[in-house]
Amino acid sequence: MNSKWIAVVIIVAILVVVGVIFAVLYFGTYNNLVALEESVDEKWAQVEQELQRRYDLIPRVVNASKLYIKYEGSILQNVTELRSQWAAAMNSGDLDAINDATGKLDSAVSNLIVVIENYPELKASQVVEDLIVELEGTENRISTERMRYNEAVRDYNRERRSFPANLWAAGWGFEGREYFEAKVGAEEPPTVPID
Amino acid sequence: MLSVPRKALIPFLSVILLAAFVGTIPAAVLPVNGQVLSDDWKNDIEEYLLEIDKNTTAEIVIYVVDSLYGHGIRKDGTELNDIVQLGVYIFNELPLDTPSGPVVGIGKKGKDNGVLVLVAMEEQKWRIEVGYGLEGYITDAESYQIAQNEYLVPKFQEGKYGEGLASTVEALAKEIPKVDKTEQIPTRGRYVYDNAEPPADEEIPWWVIALIVIFVIVMISVGGRFGGGRTGRSGGRSRGGGGRSGGGGGGGRSGGGGSSGKW
Repeated sequence: MNSKWIAVVIIVAILVVVGVIFAVLYFGTYNNLVALEESVDEKWAQVEQELQRRYDLIPRVVNASKLYIKYEGSILQNVTELRSQWAAAMNSGDLDAINDATGKLDSAVSNLIVVIENYPELKASQVVEDLIVELEGTENRISTERMRYNEAVRDYNRERRSFPANLWAAGWGFEGREYFEAKVGAEEPPTVPID
Repeated sequence: MLSVPRKALIPFLSVILLAAFVGTIPAAVLPVNGQVLSDDWKNDIEEYLLEIDKNTTAEIVIYVVDSLYGHGIRKDGTELNDIVQLGVYIFNELPLDTPSGPVVGIGKKGKDNGVLVLVAMEEQKWRIEVGYGLEGYITDAESYQIAQNEYLVPKFQEGKYGEGLASTVEALAKEIPKVDKTEQIPTRGRYVYDNAEPPADEEIPWWVIALIVIFVIVMISVGGRFGGGRTGRSGGRSRGGGGRSGGGGGGGRSGGGGSSGKW
């Protein structure tokens, strides 16, 4: 065998190795992005489920407490209205609108909890106490699942923007995902009734 | 392997070791780690909860901290001072010591049947975090009734911490259904973390650090005299956060369900 053949063999071997490395990298990156995106969707479903739980719970809380809450009547009305707005936003599917409506409902609900906890007659009612505990539990679930969703989005977006995924992600149709942060109203301190 | 000049390596190593040393010692030396439970109560509760684990596969864990500040449990570098967030973190992410090694996640993997009873003595706050798989059996309202009105708070107000925790976990356990005994699932083996030993990133025993420090000092002094000698690599790396062990339970998840209150 002459040296020409040896050179050809070496070149072919190098090409094969490079090809294999490229394939592993290419498909590995793709699979990784798929897994990360799936995790984002999965966590969003969890968030939605907890938001839905709150949606179902609010009418029960409102009904149980409206006999007692006389002066802060607008609070119950407000919560009920924002609940409908939230449902409309969810139906629209627009994340900005959902963020906005969820944030408003967040502060209205925490406001309601504070108000109810300041009514001694209300606290004395076993039904209301249970409902408030459930509402607080739901708020905790929402914030936990929201945090996990945002962590999943962070991981996904980071991978999507880093090398080598950034070369191919757009071509594969992976789009950047938005964080779920309640921007509006969430910082307003709840008003406490004065008695 | 990359060869690094020893002189550059020594300050670097010393700083790391000093940091590890300083980070470890206070937790072991400071007298804040008072035990809330007497040994008798602790053993009774451990025994009872092991029995519950055998009968239901559920893991009920008690975790006591002196205060929500200074317990040293951190997420992304920030100490968790909110009892709900702390509970979620301990439940899902903090490696907890068990007879078969550090375990992450309270409750069995896939069943998510764990319960965490967390109390912060100084703030007089309690938190019950219920795993996903038990949310149907222990509702938020039920856990609240058990802790706030029936067992934990009334007993804690009298200073009867052992009795309070024992009766609370008993009431919680009664809500959990028994399972078919043919199913052989390894038990967790440890359930009570009373002012628990420092979290896992501080798990290196003091004497290992002392040996490493002595080793480094010897190395520096020897190296100073015979410049150009070969540098050994120190074996001072921590085992890190600790993973999930093979048998012995753990791996359960929760999502903020449960209740909280004050005594």
